[in-house]
Amino acid sequence: MKYRIIALLSLLLPCCMLHAEQSLPSGGRDASWHKWGPTLGLKQGGFILRAGYVIGGTTPVPLPEEIRKINEFSPRGGISLGIDGYRMFSKRWGVSIGAHFFWEGFHTSADVKNYYVSYDEVDESSAGKPETKIGYFTGTNVTSTEMWGVTLPLLVTYCISPRWNVSAGPYMSCYFKQTFTGEVYENKDGVGYLRNLTPVGEKTFIGSDVETHYDFSADMLPLSAGVELCFDWKAMRHMNVFGKLDWGLTNIWRRDFDAISFRMYPIYGTIGVAYRY
Amino acid sequence: MNKASIAALAAIPLFFVSCIKDEPKNAECDIEAISLHLENPQRYFRNVGDTLLIPSEDRISGDLAFLIKTYTEIHLVPTTIQVTPGATVYLETENGEFVSFVNGTDVDFSDEQVHRFRVVSEDKAWSRLYNVYVKHRPEGAAYLSSDFENYDLDGTGKYYVWEAPSVFIDETGKSTWKNGNPGYKLSMSSAKPMDYPSTPVVGGGPDGSTCLKLETCDTGPFGRMVNMRLASGSMFNGVFDVANALKDPLKATQFGSPFTFKPVMLRVWLRYEPGSVYQDRNGKPVEGIIDEPDVYVVLYRNVDESGNKVQPDGNDMLTNPYIIGKGRLPHNLDADGSDLLTGNPIHGITSEWQEFSIPLEYTSEPDPDILAEEGYGIIISIASSWQGGYFKGAIGSKLYVDNLQLFCE
Repeated sequence: MKYRIIALLSLLLPCCMLHAEQSLPSGGRDASWHKWGPTLGLKQGGFILRAGYVIGGTTPVPLPEEIRKINEFSPRGGISLGIDGYRMFSKRWGVSIGAHFFWEGFHTSADVKNYYVSYDEVDESSAGKPETKIGYFTGTNVTSTEMWGVTLPLLVTYCISPRWNVSAGPYMSCYFKQTFTGEVYENKDGVGYLRNLTPVGEKTFIGSDVETHYDFSADMLPLSAGVELCFDWKAMRHMNVFGKLDWGLTNIWRRDFDAISFRMYPIYGTIGVAYRY
Repeated sequence: MNKASIAALAAIPLFFVSCIKDEPKNAECDIEAISLHLENPQRYFRNVGDTLLIPSEDRISGDLAFLIKTYTEIHLVPTTIQVTPGATVYLETENGEFVSFVNGTDVDFSDEQVHRFRVVSEDKAWSRLYNVYVKHRPEGAAYLSSDFENYDLDGTGKYYVWEAPSVFIDETGKSTWKNGNPGYKLSMSSAKPMDYPSTPVVGGGPDGSTCLKLETCDTGPFGRMVNMRLASGSMFNGVFDVANALKDPLKATQFGSPFTFKPVMLRVWLRYEPGSVYQDRNGKPVEGIIDEPDVYVVLYRNVDESGNKVQPDGNDMLTNPYIIGKGRLPHNLDADGSDLLTGNPIHGITSEWQEFSIPLEYTSEPDPDILAEEGYGIIISIASSWQGGYFKGAIGSKLYVDNLQLFCE
């Protein structure tokens, strides 16, 4: 799927480039490079202040076959504010580092079939040992996750044209706060049950008015790493419009966490505007 | 660019949707229904509908019994089995091999012989074994008794089950008392058999024999999560549909067994130690209320005027309009008959063993012909917290029970 998105974005490039070429000011190509390049000169550096809207999800890749249908998807949070420092080594090549503060997340409702669950039931008021629940759930699973943190990307920038930059490279994210909560209950067709231990274990029906919620917030890792791809279009002398994709390559869960049988990755896109100097 | 970029980013969630894989093959392999195609079912069955058996969905025990009239015998009969979609059915032959079973094949159910069916899931990873047989309904008796001496661990080894009078036979072909233990297992899966609400006490009876202990227990974090914070110890005849215990706990408790005599008196030995703090459904302590046990016996008409089965459950086991007779331990009741939670609650039940007699009072006399045809059902039910069905009571309330007897006319 990663390749499909990159392929899609790269398909969009030629048409945008055509548009950019057409809007070149008179006075030749070099004048154009100087106009849209770093303020202090073509081989100099600068900074970019970015503000964007974040949308995406924390998801297994690919989606496991147990997930049958996405009923609902809505973003949570969705703010990214950051600063990049960049340095160009030539007309076309440069590097940048940044710090992007974000609040991102989503809420989704999905129908699942034979979905493995295992978790410990603990609460403060019980002195006893935790109760481990293991089973296979069929029905609707509702999940919400929100993450507050900062992403530190280290990117290589390539200027495709005077007004077009593409940057790519690794990033690391550090989370100040994360939540991952949800509920399971019967789906719209009235199907909602857990089978104890195995798919042939005792059935327990779970109605829509029974609260069977989970909270895995404490099982999330405080760090993640991935790759970032960012396109910048210089709309005005000091203003960029940008779109970027942060593709997490590390599992969000702690190693000993087995309530969810698959790895999950944060995959979030941002669109926004930037002040460039 | 702007629009294209927005479109590309907005498309990300759509990508996930388009990435949904083909539906996995079913891993489940249940018998959903089994039916015998008899030419004159009324010759064998009390209700024609009993030729169709729909196993309760919680059970992992694979025993399925058709209950037929006493002096009949079913020989070769076309049998159909409906299973989880995609699953396949195999029947064990005499030499122990499993051969593919074709629906409509004749099966010989004479002499209560047991047929072993294996159901294999669509994904071939799972299977379940079922023992299917026809069993004669036990003949009723004008005197029932239970001293709770015969008990054993259930199939999973988690909790105890007690042998009941033979007329309390169920669709597994066995006669056992039902209780809330399977429900307690849902919430406290790591509990040991003696931690459950219904347990045996060796040497605890009034005569030094084994007695029964029913205790109102805390259901732990899971119970708190689903707001079912306690489990009353209980013992009753009927069906406990554990699969629906979370979804609709009152309805999951289905009381009653067909009965052919007119009960007049229940006698039982009891002793009671109420728990110290009575709590409401939300777990809040309620001052000034002492927990009470409950014991009752009910006779009801088990089919309505149009021939449909009457099934009293936790909502109406004492108020169902088809009830004609009942007897109950004394309680303080409101004017409308609902439970009053104040006043002198215990009515003489102490922590010392005493024998209690609970006579039945009838609003109308049972019809002898209908009685003989099993047209009435009986309920015998005992609990350590009388409001336990509503998850109210005192954790730690203990009701000890022994030598239960039912006298009939």
